[in-house]
Amino acid sequence: MRTSSPHRANLLGLAFMTPAMVLLLGFFFLPVVLTSVFAFTNMSTATGISGGSYIVTGNLLRSLTDEGLDAKTIEALGQSSYVIDQAGLEKARAAGVDAKFITEIGERLKDRSFTSASAFERELKTLPSRPTRVRDLKIAAGAFEQSVLNVRYASRGEMEAALLHMLENPPQGAIERIATASYTGWTWTTENFKNLLVAPDTWRIVGNTVFYVVLTLAFNVLVGLFLAITTFYLPSAGSSFFSVLWLLPRITPVVLYAVMWKWFTWEDGFVFNIAQDLGLPAFNYMKGSVASAWTVVILVNGFVGASFGMILFSGALKAIPVQQLWASDVDGASRWQQIRYIILPHMRWPILFVTSYQTLSLLSSYEQIWLTTNGGPGSTTTVWALEAFKTALNNYTGNLQYGLGAAMALILVAVGLVLSIVYLRLFRFDEMMSKPKIEF
Amino acid sequence: MTRNFAAWPIILLLTVLSLPLFIMYLFLLVDTFSNTAPGSLLPNEFTLEHWRFLIDPTITGDVWKPTLTTVIFSASLMIIVVSVSATAGYALSRLALPFRRFVLSGIMVMHAFPSVTLIIGVFLVLQFAGLYNSLTGVILVKASLMLPFGIWIMKGFYDAVPWEIEMAGVQDGASRFTVWRRIILPQVKPGLLSLALFAFIDGWSEYMLPRILAPSSDFEVLSMYLNTVSDPNSSTYNFNIFKSVGLFYTLPVLALFVLFQNRLMNIFGGGTKG
Repeated sequence: MRTSSPHRANLLGLAFMTPAMVLLLGFFFLPVVLTSVFAFTNMSTATGISGGSYIVTGNLLRSLTDEGLDAKTIEALGQSSYVIDQAGLEKARAAGVDAKFITEIGERLKDRSFTSASAFERELKTLPSRPTRVRDLKIAAGAFEQSVLNVRYASRGEMEAALLHMLENPPQGAIERIATASYTGWTWTTENFKNLLVAPDTWRIVGNTVFYVVLTLAFNVLVGLFLAITTFYLPSAGSSFFSVLWLLPRITPVVLYAVMWKWFTWEDGFVFNIAQDLGLPAFNYMKGSVASAWTVVILVNGFVGASFGMILFSGALKAIPVQQLWASDVDGASRWQQIRYIILPHMRWPILFVTSYQTLSLLSSYEQIWLTTNGGPGSTTTVWALEAFKTALNNYTGNLQYGLGAAMALILVAVGLVLSIVYLRLFRFDEMMSKPKIEF
Repeated sequence: MTRNFAAWPIILLLTVLSLPLFIMYLFLLVDTFSNTAPGSLLPNEFTLEHWRFLIDPTITGDVWKPTLTTVIFSASLMIIVVSVSATAGYALSRLALPFRRFVLSGIMVMHAFPSVTLIIGVFLVLQFAGLYNSLTGVILVKASLMLPFGIWIMKGFYDAVPWEIEMAGVQDGASRFTVWRRIILPQVKPGLLSLALFAFIDGWSEYMLPRILAPSSDFEVLSMYLNTVSDPNSSTYNFNIFKSVGLFYTLPVLALFVLFQNRLMNIFGGGTKG
């Protein structure tokens, strides 16, 4: 059996692992790679995702002037020229110009070129079969116009060929430079990180994030502990009422939960009405002031997190040998002393676990904030993860900056990876790794 | 235990702390069946009018189409997550695999890793794969993001099955596949059920992925529907109606939770982020 089966077991293992591996590679590993790669690009809605084309626009000419490209080249780029060649003749035919006239142009002016429309038109007027109407003459002239301005070229080669055609003896390297600058797709850059470092907003958002994580975490752990301990001591009817109540935010879908908070704190909402009755300031607490917006954000997230803490701490409490508590009762310890000297020491690991777990998820989560204050008023409650998400995928100006957003997300991804590895080291990693006991 | 501690201040504090939650959930229920005079806190009449959205699509738009979409979404998610986790979990728990340790630690890191930070990368993957704005894309993404958790849970359940059972099966000449299919799988049924329930509920609650990865598509899940209804800037905005829609949307989750409380508590306690 041992000699014949290893292959089959390996095949079975491979077959069993393949679907999981494909999905994880596609939607876990690949996104990480893409985030890291595109963090170093200037990709945005304007540049598109799959690549761009080459186009010289008026704006581009202006910025090239600013960058010191010589004036003669710029002028030549901006100009149109008129060249009588086969392509122009075809175009004129397609535009419905009189056939006799076209033949005449072809015979008499073949391969001549003119630098201005007026010179070319003057020349055309000398031909015997010229059209009588000026409009027709202009149409005929237009067919021979050649310009790179505002013409879209699919590849760099085409753009360079067109530039070469336009510019007579251009300065060294100018063609390459113009072609590069005319690219509308995304390019590689480290600007994202540089911009992040110098932007004053960055540090405000970092500050917001730290403030948010620390306060929410404190709320989660303290309230979670408080709930676990009080429900532990309460009679069972009361304790199960509070347990279920505090569990509700966790199982309520996030949209409804956010909407309920809106009802609670919005204009004409519950708190608003009470405050009005009591003569206290009544306004939209979710968006009306910075302090109230932060309070709402922390409570919205804190209530969900506290129930997570409560469940974990309650579990840990039940694992404490109850004889210890009985013995301390007999010795005359007060409840506070029991909590301080028996319960809390047992809670060290659960508290550490909840803290590290929540730090990670608070750092990266923005769903609740997005659905409630949406980072407002202004951007006072905007945290890093929300800002990254908005930059890349959800802003109202319409220009989504995938590159910059990816750069911001990459920082979170890196922090997330490091933290999750650190806390796996802390919590029972090796015992999970026992080897299979059947060798095939 | 003896009462050597003044209980009432603590209970008072607990009550005050719980009050916002209590009020929110109480009024969620009460307001859907009643009307309240403007400016007043307490309802003054019983009514079923807020539930008319169920039969009258002119109020908030047809609710049944998003409901069906949500059922399809959650059920597909459940099937994918359970079947892929059941196989991969077994392979990682019991089979001799190359790089097993590496894969296992990778999955643990992914499980701990905050997957929402990947949303931009996922968006790009879907763009390149041509799955952006499609239900299939959203299902695949959601399922994949749940997989590390599912595999981890299932591995735990397989780990708890005694080796002796498996060895006995192998001794009797069955292949590993047959042993898995006939002997092991029935042993981990509770795990499969918990994971299926969890995946279904998680899918039912999902808002962000469909909203971001399929923003302009022709399908809508209930969470998106509810968010549209409850937008304070919308013309149909009405606290009572969105509470009814919200309650309607959440009832399946609550029902499943009440029915399978014990099974789900394990998973909710240990597994998820929050």
